[in-house]
Amino acid sequence: MQDGTSAPQKIALRTDGRNRRTDSARLRRLNILVGALSLPLFVGLWELASRSGAVNMVLFPPPTVVAAAVLEWIRSGQFLGDLSASLLRVTTGFIVGGALGILLGILTGQFPVVSSLLSPLFHILRPIPPIAFVPIVILWFGLSEAGKLFLVVWGVFFTVWLSTHIGVQKVDRGLIRAALMLGTPRRQMLQEIVLLGALPYIVVGLRTAVSISFYTLVAAELAGTFAGIVYRIEIAQQNMQTGQVMGGLAALGLISFIADRLFAALAERTVWWR
Amino acid sequence: MSGSRSIVKLALASPPVSVESARTQPAIQVSNLSIVFDTKRGQTIAVDRVSFDVAPGEFVCIVGPSGCGKSTVLNTIAGLEVPFEGDILVEGSPVYAPRPDVGMVFQQPHLFPWKSVRRNIAHGPRMHGKSKADANAIADDLIAMIGLKRFADAYPNTLSGGMQQRVAIARALANQPRVLLMDEPFGALDAQTRAVMQDNLLELRDRIKATIVFVTHDIDEAIVLADRVLIMSAGPGRILRDVAVKLPRPRSSSIMVEPTYLSLKKDCLDVIRAEGLRAFNQSDAS
Repeated sequence: MQDGTSAPQKIALRTDGRNRRTDSARLRRLNILVGALSLPLFVGLWELASRSGAVNMVLFPPPTVVAAAVLEWIRSGQFLGDLSASLLRVTTGFIVGGALGILLGILTGQFPVVSSLLSPLFHILRPIPPIAFVPIVILWFGLSEAGKLFLVVWGVFFTVWLSTHIGVQKVDRGLIRAALMLGTPRRQMLQEIVLLGALPYIVVGLRTAVSISFYTLVAAELAGTFAGIVYRIEIAQQNMQTGQVMGGLAALGLISFIADRLFAALAERTVWWR
Repeated sequence: MSGSRSIVKLALASPPVSVESARTQPAIQVSNLSIVFDTKRGQTIAVDRVSFDVAPGEFVCIVGPSGCGKSTVLNTIAGLEVPFEGDILVEGSPVYAPRPDVGMVFQQPHLFPWKSVRRNIAHGPRMHGKSKADANAIADDLIAMIGLKRFADAYPNTLSGGMQQRVAIARALANQPRVLLMDEPFGALDAQTRAVMQDNLLELRDRIKATIVFVTHDIDEAIVLADRVLIMSAGPGRILRDVAVKLPRPRSSSIMVEPTYLSLKKDCLDVIRAEGLRAFNQSDAS
């Protein structure tokens, strides 16, 4: 009786399992196909919609027009100038802001006196969106590069400072006690334990700061300048060159995407023990 | 008791301790140690006038319920905590801070995650000014001793809990401490691993000849390992009984079925049970 009921059940289970496995494989293949088609489908629909006459082609140019505008931008030599101007602002701002953030984060995280002195000030300034500083930056620096740098540094600094501060504070006390028992001098504790213990937090802060540096770049270039990707978008808008505007947006998206990927790859190497 | 202590204080007054007095002097002397914690409801006495000596090379286990202050006593000998009252002498000199001749193994391995097994073990010798080559040589000897040669270049997060704790023990031994303090080092391991680790420690102990103070709440573990078991009570922490374990060495965890072992365990359990009842009745009365 028992054998009679259990045997068919086993078979039923087995076929059920096989079906489920082939189903999931089929589903995975479908997902890959859909993923590969996503962008071409989107661009094709866009082209059709623009040329259908339902929308104004000047305000909503098709991808082919955008591509032509980008090609012209590159051919004229302006693209290289704009790209290097923007990248220079982002990288110098990122490096200066990041270095200051790490330095002060270690100081406030490690020394309670420094934290009592600076943390209240930083916590008041940190929530103000960097873009809100554009008017006063124009008053202080005019249209000079120093003003652009100031905005990017400002945006990057607070993110990196806060994550470094938290990272230093969260260093495992057990590691510090173990290091003390092994004879690590207190003055070497920073380089031996604290910095490395905080490193994963610092790296996360820096990665967040990469995208923040691009946000602030937009604000900085809109505030008035003479070259740069966002500057070009603004000029094209004033001339009703909608294709150029969209090409600029695509370029900006691509650059910040590449920057983020590069940093992610770098970060993986920085925290080498994970 | 007080007589012997004054002799040691005399020996202290003339620092280069002669070989003869070093032989007679206890490795650790804890006298009238009290530790008080500040809590929200005022001060709590964690440890109340605890005194004991540990002879050079002796293996002493401190057992007691959680919260009896046994870890606190150990941390104070390590120099990680400051006593409220009382004196602690290691090798005849008072303890103010962590010192190179005292090593410690914690309940958690606390390995440096960014260092390989070899560099974790080499850390102590490096901090004491040894060259990289010398420190690595010391580390490699210890790695062979704990049987982790294949994992010398591995990072801690790739090791099991038992392997991590073996590395932590090797790391503490790399400084060749005269005194090794162990704070429930096997408490977080599963039963099988714990038995293996106990046997490993007994083997290791025959080679290193350090004085060991081992804190645990497991009475079996204490009797298997120790020459002497100190049984502590909770709230406030006091030493209830000082039990000599006269079981033959070399030992292994298989000794746990011997009749002499069992009668010793019964004695210990009786002390613990009587104390448990007393504490229970007291809390009932108040």
